[in-house]
Amino acid sequence: MAQATLAPEGVTQALSAEAVERISADEPTWLQERRRHAWSVYETTPMPTTKLEEWRYTDLKKKLDLAPLRLSEGTAAPDDPAQWPERLREAMDEDREASGHIVVIDGHVVHADISADLAKQGVVLGSLQDAVEQHAALVEEHLATEAVPAEEGKFAALNAALWTDGVLLYVPKGVQLEAPVRITRWLTESGAAYLSRVLIVAEQHSQVSYVDEVLSDDFESQTFTSTAVEVIAKDGAQVQYVAVQRLGKGAFYQSVQRTLAGRDATLDTLNVALGASVTRVDLNARLLGPGANSDMLGLYFGDGSQHFDFNTSQDHIKPNTASDLLYKGALDGSSRAVFRGIIRVYPGAQKTDAYQTNRNLLLSPHARADSLPNLEIEADDVKCSHGATVGELDSEAKFYLMSRGLNRTQAERLVVMGFLGEVLAKLPLGGVVEKVSRVIEQKLAQHEG
Amino acid sequence: MPQNETIQDLDLDEYKYGFVTEGKPVFRAEKGLSEEVVRQISAHKEEPEWMLDFRLKALKVYESKPMPTWGGDLSDLEKVLSEIYFYVRPQDRMQHSWDDVPEEIKDTFEKLGIPEAERKILAGVGAQYESEMVYHSLREEWSNQGVIFDSIEDGLKNHPELFREHFGTVIPTHDNKFAAMNSAVWSGGSFVYIPKGVSLNTPLQAYFRVNQERMGQFERTLIIVDEGAHAHYIEGCTAPVYSTESFHSGVIEIIVKKNARFRYTTIQNWSNNMYNLVTQRATVAEGGHMEWLDGNLGSKLTMKYPSCYLMGEGAHGEILSIAYSGDGQHQDTGGKVVHVAPYTTSSIVSKSISKGHGRSTYRGLCKVYEGAHHARSNVECDALLINDTSRTDTYPYIEIEENDANVGHEASVSKIGEEQLFYLTSRGIPEEEAMAMIVRGFIEPIAKELPLEYAVELNRLIELEMEGSVG
Repeated sequence: MAQATLAPEGVTQALSAEAVERISADEPTWLQERRRHAWSVYETTPMPTTKLEEWRYTDLKKKLDLAPLRLSEGTAAPDDPAQWPERLREAMDEDREASGHIVVIDGHVVHADISADLAKQGVVLGSLQDAVEQHAALVEEHLATEAVPAEEGKFAALNAALWTDGVLLYVPKGVQLEAPVRITRWLTESGAAYLSRVLIVAEQHSQVSYVDEVLSDDFESQTFTSTAVEVIAKDGAQVQYVAVQRLGKGAFYQSVQRTLAGRDATLDTLNVALGASVTRVDLNARLLGPGANSDMLGLYFGDGSQHFDFNTSQDHIKPNTASDLLYKGALDGSSRAVFRGIIRVYPGAQKTDAYQTNRNLLLSPHARADSLPNLEIEADDVKCSHGATVGELDSEAKFYLMSRGLNRTQAERLVVMGFLGEVLAKLPLGGVVEKVSRVIEQKLAQHEG
Repeated sequence: MPQNETIQDLDLDEYKYGFVTEGKPVFRAEKGLSEEVVRQISAHKEEPEWMLDFRLKALKVYESKPMPTWGGDLSDLEKVLSEIYFYVRPQDRMQHSWDDVPEEIKDTFEKLGIPEAERKILAGVGAQYESEMVYHSLREEWSNQGVIFDSIEDGLKNHPELFREHFGTVIPTHDNKFAAMNSAVWSGGSFVYIPKGVSLNTPLQAYFRVNQERMGQFERTLIIVDEGAHAHYIEGCTAPVYSTESFHSGVIEIIVKKNARFRYTTIQNWSNNMYNLVTQRATVAEGGHMEWLDGNLGSKLTMKYPSCYLMGEGAHGEILSIAYSGDGQHQDTGGKVVHVAPYTTSSIVSKSISKGHGRSTYRGLCKVYEGAHHARSNVECDALLINDTSRTDTYPYIEIEENDANVGHEASVSKIGEEQLFYLTSRGIPEEEAMAMIVRGFIEPIAKELPLEYAVELNRLIELEMEGSVG
């Protein structure tokens, strides 16, 4: 107790006020101040414990040790694909058509491209550090202000204080991108803390899909990756945000995401979590204008001792808004998944349509799933429902397939793929479906072996 | 019927149990909770030393536990508790003959229809007034078969071994702050034992009445249903309407042994100034069957989650919960099912209605421990919102550690369907009546499980509450 008053929780040799000053030394004053403010919030916010409802099933005392972490300090790799890691290139090769690319290696944006035509129309895709200079007004207005401010929680504060790089995507009014923009990240430094941000601003009636994939090999010691994602869809805009997490063992993947959907905007998200030892995603969808709509999809496959914790919320603030959440996961080995979701219908948000479904498949006797689908409804003219299930493989489906000549292994794989495939079928982005299916197939192969 | 009579009826019926009975208790402890009060309670009851120790330890546990920050709004509770009487003794000793019950207490229960109910069909009746059971009776045919239906105090006196073996085993003192409080100051409640193979074909009924202002009632009930026995227990609760808050915190422990079957029905209709924080739990052994039927209509705030711990193979637990929240009311209710053994099954069905500024919350747990293979559980929650100021919440917890289990939860929230209303009104049914019909249809799956007189009462209440909700 006495120690806690001396050093605020979570302040370490690497994560310190000095680090904030060092990182922001050459930055504009507004950003320096924003970082210092975030740091003070971080210092005064206690580390979440399992006593907090939202952290009930993820004990950070056991799952995360900040003390030995250092801030990633690798130098930027060259903008030359020949010198990039093979797995990163493989991942990019699997992507089909794209409107633009960003490659991030160890926290440095080493490559950014956007089709010349889109650039001419004013689309911006690039490093957030560069954007602080080149698009100062835009970044100052939106970065860690309305979507994920430091006050959002301990990790949001840490990220806002110490982020080193990230991505800015800006789509001007009425511009529509036919192919997605693709972000591929690769991490190598074991024992490092990576703090990164994503800011997406889609102006009125624009349209864009954003796919962000992060991967690594296994780490020898715990490696922490923190992402703060801010997605703003103005009136009538259509945005898809997709995050695919394929980190190696030893990674602690933490992501705070908030989406703000304006009048008649469509803002859909998909979170795929396949890797990392611990995954914690906090996703808040805010439906701010009448007619706004959010589909929220999630997919996870756990094995070994992987731990997943999804904390989602659907805030219906204005009338005539709709949201539909579907999170599905399969759990093998002694892996564990937690889903905690809440639909909030604010007073006056009449004609809300809100749905929430979480389904878990337990493939092993030691796997565990906890599901907490919550509702808070303060308007009466609404349609809201939620459902959650935890169960084993559908034995009838398995029996049917085996009676058609498939062996047990094949039948089980097919049933699991069918179960999880429902999520991917709802957001059939080229490249993502194939890639995710392949990784799940690999994981399933280990199930039998 | 003349107009003025109708209005008068309505006035009474808004909360028809709100009357106060004049009368002086024989003893009343000081306001608030202290070691002194606990010792006084124990002394009045001439308890064995171990029970006094049990109470004093529980008081320590109570003091060490923080006030819950979840659930309903308990921010005023500390103040309320410092102002209430924890122990009020209405008469010197319990009566077994209705004629011996003091006149003013008898009046109260007669107004509530207790002797009438007894005359009808009940196997036994208990009545609690303030802190003590004032009346307990059991039909001879059942006492001859070894059935025990007594006040909890007499249970301790007359059946010390059976009592001590089971008391506090289902709900330990440290379970939660209010269970600890009850363990320190419990007074009144029933002690029930149904011997092996005995099957009660009519219910036992207990009636709880708080009459005094600023009164805390802490009944403690212990029910043991031995192997292969069957029984049904009903409790009802009412209190007068005062401007100050009252407090009720019961602890109900039920042990359902092998292949036994038990149903516990509560119709809680406390006045709207009552905090009602109750812990109810049953352990169910192999092949046993436990049902909670929980109706919460009254109180200012109720926090109550009847639980089934399914400890033996093939045990079954069922919770049917219905809540009504009007202006100023918050029903934070639900249920818990915990699957410890294989082949256990459970279901929770919850229906709530929120009207005006009322708030209904479903809060529940379904837990399947590793090893409880072939466990099956299903939870269904439906909420009906009458006005745009009403509120409903659903907070289910599903914790599954066993892959060979199937657990499902579903919830839906709706308002009274315009199409349904339109259909009924197009058939010439006035709108208010149509609304009441729809609400009755909504709660029907639970109402049909109630004993007839309660079902009628519930339906009547719904009708009354629907008046004036059109507009």
